[in-house]
Amino acid sequence: MKKFLFMVLVFLTFNILAFGAATSTQVPMLEAPVMVVSAGQSPGALQFSVVAKMAKLPHTFEKLLRAEDFDPTKYKTLVLVVGASSKGLGAAGIDFEAEVKRVVALAEKAKAHKIPIVICHLEGATRRGPMSDRILDALAAYASIFMVKTSSDEDGKFKSLSEEFKVPLLYFQKTSDLKNIIQEHFVY
Amino acid sequence: MKRVFTFLFISVLVLTTALAVVSGSVVTSKYGVVAAANEYAARIGAEILERGGNALDAAIAVSFALGVAEPYASGIGGEGYAVVRLANGERYAVDFKSVAPALASYDKINGKLSSIKYTAKGACVPGVVAGAAEVWKIGATMPWAELIKPSIELARKGLVVNETFASVVSDTYERLLENAPEFLKEGMLAWEVGDIFTNPALADTLELIAREGPAAFYKGKIADDIERFMLEHEGFMRKSDLENYKAVVREPLHGTYRGFDVYVPHPPVSGPQLLAILNILENFNLSAFSWEDPLAVHIIQQVLVLEDVDRRYFISDPDFFDLPTKGFISKEYAKTRLMELNLNKAMDPSTYFDHVGNAYAFEEGGTYEEVLLEGVKVSSVDPMNSYEFPSTTHFSVVDKYGNAVAWTQTLSSFFGTSMYVDGFFLNNEIGNFASTYREGDVINLEPGKRPRTTICPTIIEKDGKVRYVLGTPGGGRIISTITQLVVDLIDFGMSPEEAVKTPKFVGYAFYKDLRMEKGFPETTIRFLEEVLGHKVKLYEYPSLYFGGPNIVAVKSDGTMVGVGSIRRNGAAACPER
Repeated sequence: MKKFLFMVLVFLTFNILAFGAATSTQVPMLEAPVMVVSAGQSPGALQFSVVAKMAKLPHTFEKLLRAEDFDPTKYKTLVLVVGASSKGLGAAGIDFEAEVKRVVALAEKAKAHKIPIVICHLEGATRRGPMSDRILDALAAYASIFMVKTSSDEDGKFKSLSEEFKVPLLYFQKTSDLKNIIQEHFVY
Repeated sequence: MKRVFTFLFISVLVLTTALAVVSGSVVTSKYGVVAAANEYAARIGAEILERGGNALDAAIAVSFALGVAEPYASGIGGEGYAVVRLANGERYAVDFKSVAPALASYDKINGKLSSIKYTAKGACVPGVVAGAAEVWKIGATMPWAELIKPSIELARKGLVVNETFASVVSDTYERLLENAPEFLKEGMLAWEVGDIFTNPALADTLELIAREGPAAFYKGKIADDIERFMLEHEGFMRKSDLENYKAVVREPLHGTYRGFDVYVPHPPVSGPQLLAILNILENFNLSAFSWEDPLAVHIIQQVLVLEDVDRRYFISDPDFFDLPTKGFISKEYAKTRLMELNLNKAMDPSTYFDHVGNAYAFEEGGTYEEVLLEGVKVSSVDPMNSYEFPSTTHFSVVDKYGNAVAWTQTLSSFFGTSMYVDGFFLNNEIGNFASTYREGDVINLEPGKRPRTTICPTIIEKDGKVRYVLGTPGGGRIISTITQLVVDLIDFGMSPEEAVKTPKFVGYAFYKDLRMEKGFPETTIRFLEEVLGHKVKLYEYPSLYFGGPNIVAVKSDGTMVGVGSIRRNGAAACPER
């Protein structure tokens, strides 16, 4: 019996760590093709795109996509990867407030066209500064689902947002574990 | 069950016997101490001390180890400077700064130098291996190969990625994915906290350097590999540049501060600037203030700005210019700089460059009264702006015999050019030359010239005995942070730990604001802004932006205290006996 319980515990732990843990809210199935966009110009969005390629998820990566350039007839899911980087914003030649407006406008357009929005954070606690949190707060209301690295939620902010907006939250331990989440929750 | 306990007991016994080394953010020892920006590297240095090596042996081992453990901050593709003090009283300044390749010129670049910083063209000829070899010749006691062996093992067996490592890789991910995917996890992902990072390619390269000596790098297979890479990627460096490279050994520059002897590097790095700053500050009774006193912050910050302005005129490669170094570090010149200070009001940042001094006038000696009565005018050349990254790394070593080494090494930006050859990154020091040619500028790009940078490994002695060995990375913040360490230790009587931990601020000619780490009292900030007219910009505490200073201090009874870089997951380490 002890052995059985131990095996169950190991199985559950493995699933939580490797394949993500969802909150009790129903996790929606997401469809491809997917548009991946940076929200804050950190390299997180590029990392998402690399993992999406590993998972063979049909997607387009546009770091700086604006609402007016987003064609809602071509995409079935919008992924916004949150992570503010002063260096990235500087390189892109946009200021922070303009970046917040850009991604909120994009989220509004996606929502208006009933396109599910994934809010992802995969750069851990070091990318959870005040600027990243401002973007996150601005986008949270639009989220259909959160995909978050466990080390990005050490303070439980994503958990609170998930509860507040009744949106499912999927955790993953390492960036490569995101591949399993993509394969499990996207239909393609 | 008994057998398990016996096995565990023996394992623990073997481990503690074999690795009788202690590490932590602060360590105290009578048997030698290493303080560095990385715990693996600090422990490797301490293990060399534990095996009977001296500070020079340990320093060489730490230099190679940092290239493995912090591949983003330094390595054999980079450069640096070391100040060495032997137990017999001899002192050496080892300049292993990189040099511009023979083919490098403004004519061969479309646009500004900044446009080639992250290409093969951005690399200057690396000096770290030659520098380590010079330090070894000065007074190391262990075989060259033995000093590299721990780094080879570290590169092969791997190390646990810490927050600094993960954060820097994440910040540079885009460039790494494009230029050095083989460095990334599984060839495509960013390294994350807790991962085991290995670098077998670097282990092979280090094995070659261990077996064949520095010639493997400058004349052998590695030189061939670099040339092949450069030809494939249209870079400037050739094997002949590597063959011609030489580290330069001199006596360090010497200055004094309140009865302490301060030994620093020569140009083209910031040794003279640090001495010039201390010469001005010596005119103030700073011990009557405290570290957070707004007037003390104001005085120090304004002096830092003044001497950063001077640096841009008076520091460059001494092989290319007759620099006024003697005048720049004279106490009399410092008095003329003192006259520039306004204790009531911060200088208007737009006028910083109106305050350049004339150190040339003090090259032949003379008092400030004599020089100023002659009415000498200052020379005027437009200074160049360049962004300096918080990269680089520093470590400090003192052994039980009385030898000491202060060593700073760098790739310039984090990951340098991001060009990756044989398991290491090539520096992008070319970005430290003037971005476009400017008539009369001391930092115009020229073949064979060493770029000017702000590093400043420093040894401070009192009555002929080593008291402090210190330094920091941090680009444009380096001299500000080192100055504050010196003032905190000598004027404010802080312990080394307090000096490292105290929040830092910056005085830099191209910063129009006063950049400060959080932690100063609200009254200080208000006074600086509302009474003295500074525009304060606050940074989180602790911030890597202000560098990763580390110190080894030697007390009068010979006890050594090492403090690692708290802003960068650093550590100090020492042998247990």
